[in-house]
Amino acid sequence: MPSSNDWINNPLGVVEGLFAQSNSNPGWEAKVLEYFKGQLKEKEAHSWVPSLNDVPLHYLKPNSLVKFRCLIQDMFDPEFYMGVYETVDASTKAKVLRCGKYKDVTESGVDLNSRNMVTSERQTFYCVPIPGETPWAKEISFLSTVPHSYARSSQARVVPSTSYVPSRQKRSYEEDDEMDTQPQKQRDPHTELHGSVDSKRQETEASSSQTLLPSSTSSHLDLNFPLPGERGPACLVKVYEDLDSFKLNDTLEVYGILSVNPLLSVLGEEKETSALLLDPTETMETPEEQRAHDPPASLVPRLHMLYARPLKHNNPLLPCGSTEEQSAFVSSFLVEMASVRAELLAYLTHVLLGDGLAAEYLLLHLISSVYARRDVLPLGKFALNLSGCPPNSSYTERLYQIIQDLVPCSYRLSMSLHNMNSLRLVPKKDYVANRLVSGALQLARNTSLVLDETQLEQGQLDASGVRNITALGNLISWQKVDYDFNYHQMEFPCNINVLITSEGRSLLPSDCLVPLQPLVMPPNLEEYLNTIHLTSQKNKFRVYLSLARTLDYSISDEVTKAVEDDFVDMRKDDPQSVTAEDLHRMLVVARLLSLSLGQTALSPEGWMRAKHIDILRRSRSQPQKSFNGNEP
Amino acid sequence: MAPKDYLAEKEKCKKFLQEFYSEDDNGKKVFKYGAQLVTLAHREQVALQLELDDVAEEDPELVESICENTKRYTGLFADAIHELLPEYREKEVVAKDSLDVYIEHRLMMEQRGRDPAETRNPQNQYPAELMRRFELYFKPPTTSKPKVVRDVRADSIGQLVTVRGIVTRATEVKPMMAVATYTCDQCGAETYQPIQSPTFMPLIMCPSQECVTNRSGGRLYLQTRGSKFVKFQELRIQEHSDQVPVGNIPRSMTIYARGENTRVAQPGDHVAITGVFLPLLRTGFRQAVQGLLSETYLEAHSITLMNKTEDDELGTAELNEEELRQITEEDFYEKLAGSIAPEIFGHEDVKKALLLLLVGGVQQAPKGMKIRGNINICLMGDPGVAKSQLLSYIDRLAPRSQYTTGRGSSGVGLTAAVMRDPLTGEMTLEGGALVLADQGVCCIDEFDKMADADRTAIHEVMEQQTISIAKAGIMTSLNARCSILAAANPAYGRYNPRKTIEQNIQLPAALLSRFDLLWLIQDKPNAESDLRLAQHITYVHQHSRQPPTHFTPIDMKLMRRYLALCKRRQPVVPEALADYITAAYVEMRKEARVSKDTTFTSARTLLSILRLSTALARLRLVDMVEKEDVNEAMRLMEMSKDSLQADKSSASRAQRPADVIFSLLRELATEGVKGRGGSGGVVRMAEAEQRCVSRGFTPAQFQEALEEYEELNVWQVNQARTRITFV
Repeated sequence: MPSSNDWINNPLGVVEGLFAQSNSNPGWEAKVLEYFKGQLKEKEAHSWVPSLNDVPLHYLKPNSLVKFRCLIQDMFDPEFYMGVYETVDASTKAKVLRCGKYKDVTESGVDLNSRNMVTSERQTFYCVPIPGETPWAKEISFLSTVPHSYARSSQARVVPSTSYVPSRQKRSYEEDDEMDTQPQKQRDPHTELHGSVDSKRQETEASSSQTLLPSSTSSHLDLNFPLPGERGPACLVKVYEDLDSFKLNDTLEVYGILSVNPLLSVLGEEKETSALLLDPTETMETPEEQRAHDPPASLVPRLHMLYARPLKHNNPLLPCGSTEEQSAFVSSFLVEMASVRAELLAYLTHVLLGDGLAAEYLLLHLISSVYARRDVLPLGKFALNLSGCPPNSSYTERLYQIIQDLVPCSYRLSMSLHNMNSLRLVPKKDYVANRLVSGALQLARNTSLVLDETQLEQGQLDASGVRNITALGNLISWQKVDYDFNYHQMEFPCNINVLITSEGRSLLPSDCLVPLQPLVMPPNLEEYLNTIHLTSQKNKFRVYLSLARTLDYSISDEVTKAVEDDFVDMRKDDPQSVTAEDLHRMLVVARLLSLSLGQTALSPEGWMRAKHIDILRRSRSQPQKSFNGNEP
Repeated sequence: MAPKDYLAEKEKCKKFLQEFYSEDDNGKKVFKYGAQLVTLAHREQVALQLELDDVAEEDPELVESICENTKRYTGLFADAIHELLPEYREKEVVAKDSLDVYIEHRLMMEQRGRDPAETRNPQNQYPAELMRRFELYFKPPTTSKPKVVRDVRADSIGQLVTVRGIVTRATEVKPMMAVATYTCDQCGAETYQPIQSPTFMPLIMCPSQECVTNRSGGRLYLQTRGSKFVKFQELRIQEHSDQVPVGNIPRSMTIYARGENTRVAQPGDHVAITGVFLPLLRTGFRQAVQGLLSETYLEAHSITLMNKTEDDELGTAELNEEELRQITEEDFYEKLAGSIAPEIFGHEDVKKALLLLLVGGVQQAPKGMKIRGNINICLMGDPGVAKSQLLSYIDRLAPRSQYTTGRGSSGVGLTAAVMRDPLTGEMTLEGGALVLADQGVCCIDEFDKMADADRTAIHEVMEQQTISIAKAGIMTSLNARCSILAAANPAYGRYNPRKTIEQNIQLPAALLSRFDLLWLIQDKPNAESDLRLAQHITYVHQHSRQPPTHFTPIDMKLMRRYLALCKRRQPVVPEALADYITAAYVEMRKEARVSKDTTFTSARTLLSILRLSTALARLRLVDMVEKEDVNEAMRLMEMSKDSLQADKSSASRAQRPADVIFSLLRELATEGVKGRGGSGGVVRMAEAEQRCVSRGFTPAQFQEALEEYEELNVWQVNQARTRITFV
C-alpha cells in the first residue's frame, strides 16, 4: 500500500500501482476511484489537498492531487485516447503495458500497432472559478485549507520561494473589492504593496508565456470568464466517468491530478506554425480553435478528474463532510434560527432606512431558490423589485456591498445605458473557435444578481441592448437563459436570485414589488451606512442564509384545504385584485416565511402572516399600480 | 477467430455487382448495377451508390460485414468494379481530360513493355487509385437508425454510421492529392506514391531498377499533371438542439467529404450524413508527441439535405399502433385540446378552438372560386389572461408558424415590402410574417395596434389568402394561405360588455367578421372554478408537480405528427347533412335578428360552421362529416358568442339551463305544429336533444331538464324514451 501522503503527492503512482496489480482486469478503474474516494472520506482529508483556487499554479507540484472549486463553463467534444498502451524499451525490446488514463503525454517508444491497445473516451470540461464568488467566501475557504496543506506538505512539496506569503492571495480580493467598492480602499497599505508587486510578477509571467507563442496570438488569451474583471485560474478538466451526470453551469469541487506538462504548450505552438505553413488539412482545427481548446498549460492547467463533489452552495462556513455531520450541524443551528433571523431582520431594517417590511421581503428574497419546475414554470423564484431607492447616490452600491457581505455569490449589474448596449449578457457559441463565449448571465446557482436600475438614463437602446433587456426579462420570469447557438437558441434553466433596485416601478418584470418607505432620512447617507457595522454576527448571518435555503418544506393537506378556501373567499370579495399569480406568490412567500423561521411545514399562522404582509405590501404599491393597468 | 478470406469476399462483391437484378413491371430483369457499370466504363457517371438494401437481398451477412468494416469493403468493391469495368466497355471512350490520356498511355506502355517474368518494383507499379476514375459510396440499409452525434463513441470506429445535425462550418473545396506521381531526372521512370494521410513525405531518390543499380542518384520531381487529385471539403456538424439533453452543450463532429460529396451542404443546413467513423492518422513527430490522443472524423459516403420541419414530422414516418392508441382513446378530443398549453388552467373551449385551428378545415375550390379552409381565431380579453401564452404555445406547436406583433419590429411588417439590396442595389421583394407563414399559422399579438397599411392588406389575406403587391414597379400576388390567430386588447383597458365589439376592440366589422371565432377571455369570479384553480396551484406548490388527476398532456412531437396525419384527410359534407345545416343556419339568423346580437351572423358564419365541422372530422381521421361534428361546431360558435355577451346572465334574470331547455323544446313543439301540421305538442327525443346540444348544452343537462319537467308534469316521455308529449 502506498504511504499516507503518496496519494496526494504522487497519485499517478497509485494509479499505476493499482493498474499493475490488476493484470489488465477491467475492474481496476473502479478500484482507483474507490481508493481515492476512501482517502477523501477521512476526516479533514479534504483540507489536505491544496486548492487551485488559492495556491498559484507555479507553487503546485505537477502531477500531484489538487482540488478546484469551479463552474463548468463549456463542454468540449469527447476525445479518444489510449486507455491502455504498450511501450517498447529501445534497448531491451521489453514490452510493458501501461495505462494512459489521467495522463496527457506518453512515455517514448509507444508501440502503435500493439494488439493490446485499448481506445477509450473522455471528455473535457472548461471550468472557471465560480463567477461572482464574494471575497469573504474566498477568504474563509482559503484560510480553512491552507494551514493544513502547508503543515502537511511542506516536506514533500516544492517549497515555495520566501516571497510567497499567504497575503499574496489576499491581494486579489483587495483588488476585487476595489473594483466595486471605492470606500473600502486602503485598509492595509502593506498588502496593497505586496499585491502590486505580485500582480506585476504575474503580468510578466503572462507576457513571457505569451512571447513563447508565435505572433498570431497577439491578442491576450481570453480565459472566457462569465463576469468582466474576474480573476483566477481556468482549468481544462478531463472527465472519465459519469459523463452524463455533469451539466453546464454545475458547480463542483474537482479532485484531480494536475498536469502542466510544458509539452502541451509546445504542441499547441507547433500546431499553429504548422497550420500556417504546411498543408491546411494537417489540423482539423482553426488557429482560433487551437487557442481555445489547447491553451498553454502554464495558463490553463489540465486536471484529470478522480473525484468530483457537486456543490449545493459554496458557503465555506457550512460543513461539507458526511451527511451525519451536516444534519448534526443543521439541527444545532435550527435552535437559534429564530433569534438569528430577528437580528438579521433588525440589521436589514437598519440598512433599508428603517423600513421593516422591505427588510422582511429582502430577507425572504435572499433565501429564495427555485426548488422545482413544472413544465416551464419555475417554482420558488422570488425576484424582488425594491423601488423608491434614493437616486443619484451611492445607496444602491452600498446596499449591494452589504448583500455581498452576506451571500457567497453575487454580482451587481449596473443597468446603465452604456452597459446595456455593450455588455454581453447571453453566452454565445463561437463556431470559429468552437467554444461557448461566456456572458454575464452564465452564473452559478443561487447567485445574487443585483440589477441597479437607478443607473439607467434616458437614451436609445440599440439592438443588442434590447436583446439584453429581453434576456433579463426571461431570466426573471422563467429562470432560464436562451444561449445563442447562431442557428438556433438553446434554453438553459438557471436559478438566480434577482433583486432590482429602481426609483419607480422597474421596466423589468418581477414577482414582487416593494416600494421603499424610509422612516429615517439621514442627511448624509454615506455616513449613515458606514456607521452600520457588524462583525460578530456576520458569520451567523451567512450560515443562516445558506442554510435556510437547503431546508425541506412541506404543506400538509389540512393547510392546503384552508388555503384553497381562503383563496375562494378572497376572490369572492374582490375578484379583480386576487389572481392566480397572486396565489402563486403568496404560497412562495408563505414557504419562505416558514423556512426563514426554521419551520419545515406550513402552519395556518404562517399562511396568515404571509397574507398579512402581502396585504401590507400591496397597500403600498396600490396607487402606483393603477397607472400601469396595461399588460406588461 | 479465423481471418477472413478477403479474396473470397471480393469474388462475392463481383458476383453481386454482376448478378443483382430486379424485375420491372413487365417481369423483365433490370440489372441495376450492371447498367451503371456501363456508364461508369464510358465515363458518363462518376459516383456509384451501392444500396445496402440490395445487398441484403442477396447476402445479409455481407451487409453486416460491410457495416462493421466499411473501409476495407470499400476497397474490395472498388477493386471488384475496377476489374469488371473493361468487360462492360461497349464503345471507344473519348478522353475527357488529361488524366484520361495519361491513363491510356500508361496502359499502352504497360502492355508494350510488359515482361511477364519481371516483377516490378511496387513503387513503379500503377497504383489502383490512380487508374480509377469512379467513386464508390454505400447507402446504408433502411433498417439502420440515424444516430445522435453524442452516441457515436469509440466502439463505432470503423463502422458505417448515419448521423444527423446542422452544418456549422464548411471549408472551401480544395484539391487533395490522392496519388503523387514523380519522374526521375536521370532515367525518366515514373514513380507513384499513394497518399492516405493528410500529410506525406515526398520521395526524393529514384527507386527504379536502373537508377539503383547504376547509382546514378536520380532525383525525383513531382508531376502535377500526372498526379491524381480529388475534391476535398471539410465540414463540421453539430447536433440538433432537440437531441441535446438538458443542460448540455451540443457536440460536434468533423466530416471529410471527397469527390462528389463536396459542395452539397452549406453552413446552416440540416443534413443527414452517412459515413465511416475513422481515427485520423498522424505521422512523424506529431504522432509521437500527441501519443495518447487521436482525433476522429467521419468520412462521408452520402450527404442528404433535410428540411428541418419535414425531418421532424415525416422523418419518423407513420405513427405506430401504440401511439395511435394513446391518442385515439376515449375522450381524445378533450385530451388533445387539454394538451395545448397545459400550464394554462381552464379555457377548455378556447383550447378546443385552437386545436381546430391547427388542424384546419378543408379548402374548397369549386369552379375557380376559392373558399378558404383555414380557420381564423381572434382572442380578446382583459390584460393578463394568458392570451400571449396561448399564442406562443401555438407558435411552438405548429410545424410552420410566425409569431409577430401588430407593430412588427422589422420594416417589412406583416405583408411584404420592396427592399433595395444593399450589395447589388437591386429591388427585391421581402415577405412579411403573413407570407412567411404560408401553409401555417400566423400568430399576431396586439392585433388592435396594427399599422394601417397592414390592416388593409389583412382583409385580403383573411379571405382570399393572397397578398397583392403593387410597389416600386413590382406587381405581383403572393400566397399567404395561413390561419390567423390574433390576440387583441380591449380599447379601454377592460372589456366593456355594454358596448359592441367594434367599440371595444376598435377594429372594423369587416375585419372582425372574417374571424371564424371570436373569443373573449375574461377573468370572472366563480366559486367552483376558483376552488379548482386554488387546488391546482396549491397542489403544485405542495408536491412540486402536476396534480395526479390531471391527465398527462400529450407530447408536443407526437401531437405534431398526429396533426400532420389529420391534415391529410379531406372529409366532405354528405348530402344528408345539408338540410340540417341550412336549417340550423336559418335558425341562427332568425335568432340574431331577434336578440340584437353584438356579433354578426352572415353567410360567413355558415362557412365557418362548415370549416369547423370538417376540421372536427379530420381530427377523428374520417372522410365524412357527421352530425356530431356539426353540432360541436355550432356549440363552439355558441360558446364564443356567449363569451362576448359576458354579463348577460347577471343583467337579466339568471336562467337555469333547465329553463332554457324547456323553452327551446316548447318552441320546437310549436314549430312542429305549424310546419308539418302533425300532432300538437309532440317532439321527437333525438331532434330535441340535437337542438339543445347545438345551443351549447351538454346531453347530461338535457337529461336533467327532461326529468325535472317530467316530475312537474309539464310533459311526458314515452316508454321507449323516443318522444316527448306536452301536456
